[in-house]
Amino acid sequence: MSSSVEKATTMRLYLTCIRNTLEAAMCLQNFPCQEVERHNKPEVEMKTSPELLLNPVMICRNEAEKCLIETSINSLRISLKVKQADELENILAKKFLRFLSMRAEAFQVLRRKPVQGYDISFLISNFHCEEMQKQRLIDFIVQFMEDIDKEINELKMSVNTRGRLVATEFLKQFV
Amino acid sequence: MILLQSQSKYLLQLLTNRLQNLDKGVELDCQWIEFDDVRFNVQTSVKNSHILLLSLSLPTPPAGALFVGGLPYGAIEAIKAAYGTVVQILDPPKDGFNLTLKLNFSKLSPDEDTRQALLMKVASVREVVLGAPLRVILKHLASRSLAPNMDQLVSIVHRPNESFFLIPQIEKVTVIYPMRFKDSTDTCLATSFLQEFVEARRTASAGLNNAPSCQWSPSAPQELEGIPAKELSANAGFVSFVIFPRHVDSKKLDRTVWNLSTFHAYVSYHVKCSEGFMHTRMRRRVESLIEALDRAKSDQDKTKKAGTKTSFKRLSIKDSRSNSNSRASASWK
Repeated sequence: MSSSVEKATTMRLYLTCIRNTLEAAMCLQNFPCQEVERHNKPEVEMKTSPELLLNPVMICRNEAEKCLIETSINSLRISLKVKQADELENILAKKFLRFLSMRAEAFQVLRRKPVQGYDISFLISNFHCEEMQKQRLIDFIVQFMEDIDKEINELKMSVNTRGRLVATEFLKQFV
Repeated sequence: MILLQSQSKYLLQLLTNRLQNLDKGVELDCQWIEFDDVRFNVQTSVKNSHILLLSLSLPTPPAGALFVGGLPYGAIEAIKAAYGTVVQILDPPKDGFNLTLKLNFSKLSPDEDTRQALLMKVASVREVVLGAPLRVILKHLASRSLAPNMDQLVSIVHRPNESFFLIPQIEKVTVIYPMRFKDSTDTCLATSFLQEFVEARRTASAGLNNAPSCQWSPSAPQELEGIPAKELSANAGFVSFVIFPRHVDSKKLDRTVWNLSTFHAYVSYHVKCSEGFMHTRMRRRVESLIEALDRAKSDQDKTKKAGTKTSFKRLSIKDSRSNSNSRASASWK
């Protein structure tokens, strides 16, 4: 009981920290490419000019769960690593995140491929910030993280419950 | 449907349909496949409308399995015992099949109930044929004896090129399944399912005290020594059940044979169901997340709209009137 309470509080602290960092980091402005005329690219992806990049921030909840926030003048990249305590969680997380990445088009701010070493990445540009409210966008990212956590826990539980039911029904046949 | 049914639903429907329209002859030649690579073929002709040819093709057996003349050990006897005179075994079977049965509807008993029972029995032909060696061993267990020349390790085919193993003893029969899955997700889910089998038996919450004891181990149990390594490569571990005579009473025998011979299919079926369920959930979750993102957008639009509204308000007649009033009152002062 106490451990689950503690778990919930560390999760809340972790999310609050990410929320505050995002609030500070998400001040993006339009910035046309310096090298090529009439191009406008997310600088955090191109990494062509170091003066346009800010220091990346990494927030860790524990060894397995971390969040990397990289910022540049016109774009922001958030990469998440989701906890995978055992093989089942690993499979479920992989399945779920792949499912999400495949629907990146619908999410706009989701990156098709995660940054290396992470499970899922977002790329937010100044255009997204113009289109959407900054506060709401941060809310979305935080909700996304909460939902992933919840979903994986629930999926795991449902697999176990089903397994138990399947086993009981099978064994009942012999009684 | 939690448990697999031993009757092939399609075959049962086909047989019932044929029986109801016996006077109307039809030309029929249809083939279908069921789980674990069991193929069926049904042929009827207009000329002899009361005759139906049912062919069955079984999964290819691995080297060690007990196969006599293309059929599992004891299958011919089992067919004769189950169907009696209504069914005749044709030799040689139809090309590409292991067994062809000739069903003669005119020999069916006139009694509706026995008729229905026989049709059910014909529809579960795969249980009769594939489960034959298992049935022989379990029957001997019920009478606490050993089947001749089946007193050591016996391997019985249940999937293409895969078999499970039986160790018959006088007091008990140990059944060992090497569990293999093609997909890594399947393997992982199945492993957690199999551990639940052990757990469910151990906690015995639902009155499972009399159920066969169940073990799971990641490596081959030592009883399987001497089996070629190729047949022992199992990526989801090994499950073993210990069957006692009380599990193979006369009324339970059929059910036990069916359950044991389709254990792998049962687990695999539920693994797939689980994955289907997960996809439904994930789809729902994606929808709710997209909604959350849309909320971020629509709010922006709303505030914009609200902003434009206020600017229109200033131009409305009522407002301008009130404005002029206030201006008038101001000038009055």
